[in-house]
Amino acid sequence: MNTLWSWIVAPLAYGFMQRGMLAAMLVGVLCAIVGCYVVLRSMAFLGDALAHAVLPGVAIAYLMGTNLTVGALVAAVAVALLISFFSRQGAIKEDTAIGIVFAAALALGVALISSVRTYAVDLSHIMFGNVLGVSPADLWLIAGIGAAVLLTVLAFYRQFLVVAFDPVLAATQRLPVERLRLLLLLLIALTIVVSLQTVGVALVAAMLVTPGATAYLLTRRLPAMMAVAALIGAVSSISGLYLSYYINIASGAAVVLVATAIFTVIFLAAPGRGMLWRGGR
Amino acid sequence: MTRSQQIAYEPAHLEIERLTVVYGRRQVLDDLSFRVEYGERVVLVGPNGAGKSTLFKALVGLVKPQSGAIRIHGLPTGAHQDCVAYVPQREEVDWRFPVTVTDVVMMGRFGRLGWFRRPTRADRAAVERGLGLMGIAHLAHRPIGELSGGQQQRVFLARALAQEPHILLLDEPFTGVDAATQEATLSVLDALRDQHVTIILSTHDLGLAAARFERVLLINRRLFGDGSPAQALRRELLAEAFGGQVLTLPDGSVLVDQCACNQPEPESIVVK
Repeated sequence: MNTLWSWIVAPLAYGFMQRGMLAAMLVGVLCAIVGCYVVLRSMAFLGDALAHAVLPGVAIAYLMGTNLTVGALVAAVAVALLISFFSRQGAIKEDTAIGIVFAAALALGVALISSVRTYAVDLSHIMFGNVLGVSPADLWLIAGIGAAVLLTVLAFYRQFLVVAFDPVLAATQRLPVERLRLLLLLLIALTIVVSLQTVGVALVAAMLVTPGATAYLLTRRLPAMMAVAALIGAVSSISGLYLSYYINIASGAAVVLVATAIFTVIFLAAPGRGMLWRGGR
Repeated sequence: MTRSQQIAYEPAHLEIERLTVVYGRRQVLDDLSFRVEYGERVVLVGPNGAGKSTLFKALVGLVKPQSGAIRIHGLPTGAHQDCVAYVPQREEVDWRFPVTVTDVVMMGRFGRLGWFRRPTRADRAAVERGLGLMGIAHLAHRPIGELSGGQQQRVFLARALAQEPHILLLDEPFTGVDAATQEATLSVLDALRDQHVTIILSTHDLGLAAARFERVLLINRRLFGDGSPAQALRRELLAEAFGGQVLTLPDGSVLVDQCACNQPEPESIVVK
């Protein structure tokens, strides 16, 4: 018992580990809850695209010597607006618009970053996260933006529900469907930006989609789905960090692998919807 | 009485004046005019692509007309939020969404609730009434993904009833549902007529239209027939509206071929 306790407590002796744990847990919960809409509206590709699209913002902020998170924020909002603008014209489909904007932003980001000398190291931090480098100021930023996003999701719960489930009904009730879609897009963008530090550009899409998809298999109502997803997000984040500490692997990757392992188990064994359950009948 | 009180208490009448809707280069509705009185019950028939769904969408403000006017209670659409309920075709929503039957029917009340008010006892009572009328109270807590097609249709109708509309629009409510659901729907429509709710329903089933409705509108982009089934479903009008899809049999009955190019199975209906 004593050894288990010390096994759990040992990493927390370091301030950077404490901050890392807290940041990872906040991001895990936030991504999971916002991610439920990403799963239900089939926006996984959009989430991935938004994540990659913040690269030029980060690069420009880096070159200008300003705060990287602010740079990412500006870029994510700009890309969300661009995608919404292109697809609303009706000339091309939404996923085509996403593909174009996403690749262009990624190329611009790589081009900008490659002009800096310490290219490889910085790029890998942005791509895969650096949760152990979270400063107290970063932690406050994550907590602040995360709280704002969650409050918005809660306040507009009913509107987001109708727009996601039945946009026709939403329109007959004179809800501003397009504006609510854009608001959801902005919330996803904000979530991605605060997740960069912990899981990075390449893996944030997994944190958006995997806990929500797992919770979908276990629940039958949206509030329950969000709660279960949040729990899975938090558990994956914390156990991922322990894994990363003890077997010395990249933290972002460890978090995503734990989340994927949970998904796989549930996918096979979920009551009612899992493969084993259906196969056994 | 003020204008808004009138809207709240009077059953609605509906005027459509020279309505024209264009999608891209295709004219879907062309100079369509008709009037529906308080509490009247009207069935809309016409071939596939005749613009029936478009007409409904224009009535609830989902489609912007190119020209013409729609007036409900004598006012343009948008002046009153919750007096028109629209039951779209079932394919328009994702039935795997994690919501229960009650959740979906409660959505019918959201228009009245506004942005941030919580549902009251009156809202829950309206939801229960809707579920009860459609005979699905026992399914109230089921996830919608577990329902049959007929049950899904009943959920949509219960939601429309929970809206307590003055005008109820139903787009092909009988396509792909069982006979029991069809009968339950028709008897609810009878009950609504006693409450002077105006009803407009579209269907492929000309036999049903003739048997159960007192007024038929025959449309194909424009109005071809308007009146009792005997007046509006006359052989020459059907031939005109359905074009080449009509065959007159030797005994004088008319065979209407509803086959659309994207449907594998032609659906044929005989009208005597």
